[in-house]
Amino acid sequence: MSSVNQSQSRGNSSQKKGGRKRNENNVIYANPLPITFSRVENRFTVTALGIFGISPARLLKPQCKGTFDPITRSVWITDPKDRAILWRRGFFGKGNLSRSEPSWLVRQTNIRTAVGRQTTSEEVTAKRRAERKQFKLDRARGIAAAAAEAESAFAEGRIISAEETKALIPSAATWKPSPSTQNVTLSFLEQYQGAADLDAEPLEDMEHMQLTFSEAFFLTWALDCLSIRRPNALEPMTLPEIWIAFQTTHLPPHLQAYSSQESILRPDNPFLLNYFFFHHYRSLGWVVKNGFAVVLIPVYEDARDAESSPFSLSNSEPFTWQWLSTINRVNSQVQKTLVLSYVTIPALSRVSLTELTSPACFERYSIREIIIRRFVPARMRD
Amino acid sequence: MDDMDTDDISISITRDDDYEQNSSEDEDGGLDWTKLPLNVPRPVIPKRGEKDFEPAHGGGSGLQRHTLDRARSAIKSISYAVWYPNLARAHVTVSRGVHFTSMGHSAQRPNLNSGKPQKRLELLPEEALYLVEKGALFCWKASHDVPSEDVDWDSASQGAPMSAQQAYAEMIGKQDLTLDRYHTFSYLRRLGYIVTRARPPSPSYPIPAPASLVFRLLATLLSPICGFLNWLVRPSTSWWRPLVHRRWLHHNLDYPSTFKTLRFFPSGHSVPLWSRTRGSPEDDPSPYEVFYHLYKPNAPYRKTAPPPPDFSVVVVNARTTPMPTIAELTHIYEGLPVTPPPLPLKRTPPSATNRSTSKLPAENDARRRPFFLARLLSYFPFCSEPPPLEPKPVRVNPFMAIRQGNKTVIVAAVDAGVVSFFRFGQGAFEEWPMT
Repeated sequence: MSSVNQSQSRGNSSQKKGGRKRNENNVIYANPLPITFSRVENRFTVTALGIFGISPARLLKPQCKGTFDPITRSVWITDPKDRAILWRRGFFGKGNLSRSEPSWLVRQTNIRTAVGRQTTSEEVTAKRRAERKQFKLDRARGIAAAAAEAESAFAEGRIISAEETKALIPSAATWKPSPSTQNVTLSFLEQYQGAADLDAEPLEDMEHMQLTFSEAFFLTWALDCLSIRRPNALEPMTLPEIWIAFQTTHLPPHLQAYSSQESILRPDNPFLLNYFFFHHYRSLGWVVKNGFAVVLIPVYEDARDAESSPFSLSNSEPFTWQWLSTINRVNSQVQKTLVLSYVTIPALSRVSLTELTSPACFERYSIREIIIRRFVPARMRD
Repeated sequence: MDDMDTDDISISITRDDDYEQNSSEDEDGGLDWTKLPLNVPRPVIPKRGEKDFEPAHGGGSGLQRHTLDRARSAIKSISYAVWYPNLARAHVTVSRGVHFTSMGHSAQRPNLNSGKPQKRLELLPEEALYLVEKGALFCWKASHDVPSEDVDWDSASQGAPMSAQQAYAEMIGKQDLTLDRYHTFSYLRRLGYIVTRARPPSPSYPIPAPASLVFRLLATLLSPICGFLNWLVRPSTSWWRPLVHRRWLHHNLDYPSTFKTLRFFPSGHSVPLWSRTRGSPEDDPSPYEVFYHLYKPNAPYRKTAPPPPDFSVVVVNARTTPMPTIAELTHIYEGLPVTPPPLPLKRTPPSATNRSTSKLPAENDARRRPFFLARLLSYFPFCSEPPPLEPKPVRVNPFMAIRQGNKTVIVAAVDAGVVSFFRFGQGAFEEWPMT
């Protein structure tokens, strides 16, 4: 009896906690972009300003700082405050020691201190996987026990029906992690503990956040809330410098050495394609991350340009049906829809060099999608 | 027939039903043999009836032929046709059964005796082959290529009777019918779909009436104007500073307008594709042409005046043909109608669903007009939020609409007889912004 009550009360409290958590998240992640707008609360002022066509809102633009790193083709954000701003307002970047949100320091602190822990997404996943593993072990044990019981009953001359056997095997729908599972999870974390005990010094954050070039250029060019420096440089790079630098890093090494600016500019530079793709979906309100569900496919307007290109663009050759079946299966396993996103590359003859020296060339590109889903005729009959 | 047989049949039927519902999920599960009748005291070999005759040494006898023919004519629903290889059509001389409500078309052929044209029911090769394979059609091969008037189907005067194998050999390859296309046709047909040719093989073949021209014309006229307007009102003055915030005239001081200002890259399928691919389409016709129109099994269908199809199907060989390029897809979409955005799923009785689908195009128009106006007006100050012109129609889930796309073509990739269907939706992300 008591256990039932307990589980109920626990269920209630966790539900409340879940709701509170969601509200908290709605506050933390309220802004879809790093720039924010302050609102005037006074209704009268709003109306009065509205008559004159003046907006009552005021723009608040953070000034984040990043470092250009050509080797990893990323921009590093080291200031924890900037990291938090960029992550919480629009989910930009990725911690270099984390799955997504930079959480290395929190995880390390969690290992060292048992109290006041803040759960990170990596730990949630690890816990879920440990529980899943435990469930599979339990189930295997259950199946073996049921088989043994059925066998011994058969030796006595009784036959246990399949339904009765099923009742003994834990099912995924009803199985609950037992306290022993919690121990498994803890022990999973404890494997680091030995090493941690050795140095009692205060932890230093070893992690930085990485922005892809597309993210960095979006924050710098479109939103103007990030300044990028070269390592050891005092002054931030100007936008034209960034424009050239981001494209140069995609060149093969022998061409990078020249870096005589304009000669390297080509409309099929991967940076231009990736940025065009990124900006398009960002401007529609999507958060863009690397993955398998949306496939960028470059399309040369003039096929001859591909032959003279120093880049070997992936996905520019026609796909086989085997490829489609494979990738479609991967995506449907994780409940995603496969989207082919075609970015057209303007023909060299159609785009001038002056256009390529600034983002003005983006006007020559275009993007369109094809959405692919399986069609099962047996299910579509009415 | 005894108990055993009927039981056997009922088992197979229930399994078929299950199979339909769960579609292709669990094909591997075999029959559960423990479900066979248990209360039979002793195993019995089922009695299937006497053979009418056994092959005699000296070939068939007249009596045997007579008994066989009597048994054949007892099957009332069998139809008869004559296959004309030079026409690539089977002339149906006796039509029985329900197949002909959705198969075959009438064609005018000159009469041999009188010389004046006469209407008659004809089948395309895939239709004839499908019926032959099903055992619903008995086909002769015409011995003379000119159709004759007398329909004395019960004699050999029309030519030689055809076996199913011979029908395969004769009919595949005629009138653009490939084995891949036949596999697709017969698979869909067996599921109950009505399958017709998208491109009429002859002028007498009925096709759906083309979509209203006025609407299409309007769309083609409007799109450059819209594009020009969008270009005019684009607020960016410098390519190095695309986003300008100003307090005056509400310039980008909230998220929706900021996102909207950032949407200045050419996107969507309306942007012309400048593509110049290696092989020009003249020297090598693309395999990506809509070949079949598909109607759902319970769709109202009239053979003489078919409605617009539910789906359009392209059939390709998965071994030899790569996936379609964007140019090929764009070419296909040009000839397809726009599908309205999907309505939210609702559990309603069938009659109600029918009504809602028939109302759908009107709702779609109502949705589009204010949307377009709103887009236009929002560029002018003081009008950033126009009053809703009409009561709000049913809310469309943007994710569902994006998943469906504006136009859909179905590609059947046939890999050595195994048909896999994919739907290629014309994406419309730019029409459904998230902010």
